[in-house]
Amino acid sequence: MTEVLAARARQVIRSGDGKAGIDCEKQSVAGSVSQRACTFCGSRVVLYPIADAVHLVHGPIGCAVYTWDIRGALSSGPELHRLSFSTDLRERHVVFGGERQLEDSLNELIERHHPAAAFVYATCIVGVIGDDVSAICRVVSAKYGIPVIPVQSEGFAGSKKQGYDAACEALMTLIGTGDTAGVGKHTVNLLGDFNLAGEIWIITEYLRRMGVEVVANLTGDGRVADIQRAHGAALNLVQCSGSTTKLAMQMQAKYGIPFKKVSYFGIDDMAGALYAVAEHFKDPEMLERTRALVAEEITEILPVVEECRRDLEGKRAAIYVGGAFKAISLVKALRLLGMTTVLAGSQTGTPEDYEYLTDLCDAGTVIVDDSNPAELSAFLSEGKADLFIGGVKERPLAYKLGVAFCDHNHERKLPLEGFIGMANFAREVRASVCSPVWQFAPRHQPAIKEV
Amino acid sequence: MRKVAIYGKGGIGKSTTTQNTVAGLAEMGRKVMVVGCDPKADSTRLLLGGLAQRSVLDTLRIEGEDVELEDVLAKGFSDTNCVESGGPEPGVGCAGRGIITSINLLERLGAYEEELDYVFYDVLGDVVCGGFAMPIREGKAEEIYIVASGEMMAMYAASNICKGIKKFATNGTVRLGGIICNSRKVDNEYELLDAFAKQLGTQMIHFVPRDNDVQRAEIHKKTVIEWDPTCNQADEYRTLAKAIEDNDMFVIPKPMETEALESLLLEHGMLDVA
Repeated sequence: MTEVLAARARQVIRSGDGKAGIDCEKQSVAGSVSQRACTFCGSRVVLYPIADAVHLVHGPIGCAVYTWDIRGALSSGPELHRLSFSTDLRERHVVFGGERQLEDSLNELIERHHPAAAFVYATCIVGVIGDDVSAICRVVSAKYGIPVIPVQSEGFAGSKKQGYDAACEALMTLIGTGDTAGVGKHTVNLLGDFNLAGEIWIITEYLRRMGVEVVANLTGDGRVADIQRAHGAALNLVQCSGSTTKLAMQMQAKYGIPFKKVSYFGIDDMAGALYAVAEHFKDPEMLERTRALVAEEITEILPVVEECRRDLEGKRAAIYVGGAFKAISLVKALRLLGMTTVLAGSQTGTPEDYEYLTDLCDAGTVIVDDSNPAELSAFLSEGKADLFIGGVKERPLAYKLGVAFCDHNHERKLPLEGFIGMANFAREVRASVCSPVWQFAPRHQPAIKEV
Repeated sequence: MRKVAIYGKGGIGKSTTTQNTVAGLAEMGRKVMVVGCDPKADSTRLLLGGLAQRSVLDTLRIEGEDVELEDVLAKGFSDTNCVESGGPEPGVGCAGRGIITSINLLERLGAYEEELDYVFYDVLGDVVCGGFAMPIREGKAEEIYIVASGEMMAMYAASNICKGIKKFATNGTVRLGGIICNSRKVDNEYELLDAFAKQLGTQMIHFVPRDNDVQRAEIHKKTVIEWDPTCNQADEYRTLAKAIEDNDMFVIPKPMETEALESLLLEHGMLDVA
């Protein structure tokens, strides 16, 4: 049995063992080498895809470097977001204060790039020396007449999740400042999709075919002006539950916009998301169009799924992703490919997500919150996983164990969302699991054989 | 080389006492360097006759990394070496980090390599954060003198500073050398401070009486010894300098809790009992 630190014992459960729910939403245990990122990083990944804004990291250069182009989010227009700007704080700024450097940097960047807005991220050292970031932002905003928004994301303030909250707060200062004239009644905002590989364009096209218009993307392929009028939309669709559920709740409280938690991964959940929208608008014709769309799309991709399933039937998968809601969709999508899930975990899942996940998974599946490399490696071998689905930090763990890998996070270049995404997912999983390369790196064998 | 740091409550007279004492040591023929560790950079004004040298951090800010020792070190009364760390304007940046940066730079520039008998660090106010403890870390200063008076808050601050010294003394070489009483002419002040020092496990190394000559010398931007070598107060500082020169009592202090401090004040009839 895999060894887990005593302080983390209640953050690991097994489906079907009848014990109490999992412990989650707590600070990482010191020394556990959590896979979670810091608060600043959490804010950065949420806001970063807003393509026509300057994103200025107020801190030492490393904070900017390590989060440079972290999502690789695609834009259909400007690509200002893909540049990484930093105030490059050094020793003398720490001693004498970094406010002047921040103001100079903002002036220079705004004059050079003419952005629609600027986000200023406060890092650890800024929190310690007490630079008045908000005051500088107000001054520069007044000077140029664009929103200059402080993001209070000091790295030590908590985990990645507190960074999500800081990002949502920053977005709330932008929402509601634009004109909603011309926003129709069948309109939605897309929350928590970051358009890593053009996913938002797939979903937007489905919605267009149904007769639904997207007002603002939060934040994949996002634009400042769209976000400013997001409060005019009739419905919020929340995809990445970990990062933007709070924003949806705040928009509901302030502007009365209802929200639905959806997932665009896998046939079931994708279809479910579209039907949920159609049902919300209570328009029989829209529902009819949705049925036709779903039928057409599924017919197109089903042969691919069937074909891949033949090679994948009975294989075992492990999942470790950012939010638990995504893990739920993945378990379902893997089932469609004939695969079982031996491990399902996330960095920032909520009790509700985990409860659903535990019920969904087969008995014996390991459910884990805020895991670490040692645990994950052990769980992979214990469950004899053939495939690991995760992000950039999980990839080397899989490869070292001779386990196939599917990137389901920041570094994707091929979309996994939508019906077409399910076909891509099936092909990619088959290509990795059945790759001939594994004969040279046998699965779950020690790296060095004793002589 | 003896490495001395002077601490004490803000406004208690640390800089004045330090410079006047240093003048006494210099007069005895000792070679002394004073390192001001206060963002206000006013720790060497009396030794330099008001001529402020550029602070280490200002020089670093303006010149970048190319700082020479001559840029930041000025010669004061009786060939004393005077350095000011300097620091940020009030309300911005991190003065504590400034002290760390400054002392590291002085070491790199070889400020301590010259034949010195004494280095005096004059540190602002309380030990509010790690930066202000820099002079007593890693054996930089090895003996501490705390300037205090018979006023409750001055003693409270002194006891608090002892907590910092104790922390660094336990795993370092720093020791408390004594309490310097800079008199505020409170009743029973001598007895009170003497008892206070004993409770901390140390000594009152000298009782410096209040004398307007100190103020007069300050107005003339001079130490008392330079301004009027014959006055009484000049002798007081000579006595203090001699006491430090001859001191051999170096202890790990026993900081006092507030209650113990209050009862000490009661015992000496200082606290009004309502």
